[in-house]
Amino acid sequence: MKEERIKELISRYNAKRITPEELKEIEQCIESGEISLNDLDGFSVLEERLHLVEVTPPSDRLDKGFYEMLKKEKRSGQRSFLKNFFHWPEFAPRLAFGSVTLITGLVAGLLLRSPQQQNEEIQLLGKEVSNLKELMMLSMLEKESATERLKAVSLTSEMDQASQKVTSALLQTLNNDDNVNVRLAALEALKPYTGDGSVRQELIRSIARQDSPLVQISLAELMVTLQAKSSVRELEKIVHNKNTPADVKNKIQESIKVLL
Amino acid sequence: MESLTDTALMLKVKDGDLDRLGLLFERYKKSLYGFFYGMNRDADVSEDLVQNVFFRILKYRYLFRGEGDFRTWMFHIARNVQHDHFRKTKKHRGDSIEAWQDRLSVNDNRSTEFQKDEELQMLSMAMERLPEEKREILLLSKYQEKKYKEIGEILGCSEGAVKVKVFRALQELKEVYLQLEKQM
Repeated sequence: MKEERIKELISRYNAKRITPEELKEIEQCIESGEISLNDLDGFSVLEERLHLVEVTPPSDRLDKGFYEMLKKEKRSGQRSFLKNFFHWPEFAPRLAFGSVTLITGLVAGLLLRSPQQQNEEIQLLGKEVSNLKELMMLSMLEKESATERLKAVSLTSEMDQASQKVTSALLQTLNNDDNVNVRLAALEALKPYTGDGSVRQELIRSIARQDSPLVQISLAELMVTLQAKSSVRELEKIVHNKNTPADVKNKIQESIKVLL
Repeated sequence: MESLTDTALMLKVKDGDLDRLGLLFERYKKSLYGFFYGMNRDADVSEDLVQNVFFRILKYRYLFRGEGDFRTWMFHIARNVQHDHFRKTKKHRGDSIEAWQDRLSVNDNRSTEFQKDEELQMLSMAMERLPEEKREILLLSKYQEKKYKEIGEILGCSEGAVKVKVFRALQELKEVYLQLEKQM
């Protein structure tokens, strides 16, 4: 608002010639800080006088009551720490904090536990499945059809870790199966378990039992890969066998050279 | 500076040093009593209400954060205490006018005895005739030493709005005072 208008309003107010509209304007100026109450006649005096109005001081009853109350509060504060601890206004935030922490812990625990639990369940399920596969494989190896027996051997590749029962069945197949392809498949399936000493030993023993050149060569190659020097004697048996074809003999002799 | 000391004292009370409240009580009992007396014109009730304020300060001491002015916080509590008292006595006021008048006359005597200046006596009487809201703003202005910003915090309004309220209350006080003067 313009300074002139403010001055006019103040002078009109002080002259008691103010209209209700102008009074509203003055109020707006007071609110905005453009007019101070001291600018208006009589207000500062009135306020000062008002501040001078005194009241008789309170009686001793007030002091007595207050100090009694303070004493009581101090006594109750000392009475028990536990009571203080569980005092609701102070205990409420503690309780809330405790509850939130507990709930957060539980939720976090659940979240952290769930995948583990799930993993355990999956592992259990996986174990059951591989047990089932084992059973299926063992029963399929008994089948007459070579295709079925091949399928049975290939089932082991789907197993994470075959049991001893499975490896023995595979060795059995390698040594005794009529079909060369099945025997070759069994040899292939046994490769992951060559780390096992007993399997390795059985493989070496199996060399002399084989009459199929394909299986003999495959076994010789495997022995080279495994650097199984103890297999040399078995391999030599094949070389000395009259029925062994010349190509096979050459191949195995090469293997023996590498092994030696 | 004093306000800082008040805050420091109250923070000590909050921390369990309850004796410090005695210092704050000594510092403000008269102002609070004056405020309640101005509102109720009853000495006994005013003393009870002052005690009630300090009781609440003790009870809710954990809520004091020390960020604002202690006196503002205290008058905020005082105003709530006054409102609670007003609500409680509202029912009884209607059915026992005589008792109320008796109490008024007794307290009036006590008050007027103290006012040596005739003008101040009239002003005190004019205050009594103001509506409660206007009486309250003038008493807060008096006991909060015209700190309109702090009064705004107590009332929940702006500093400018407080100034307008004070202006309106003073204007009415002036009118009532002039009327009384004419009657004399």
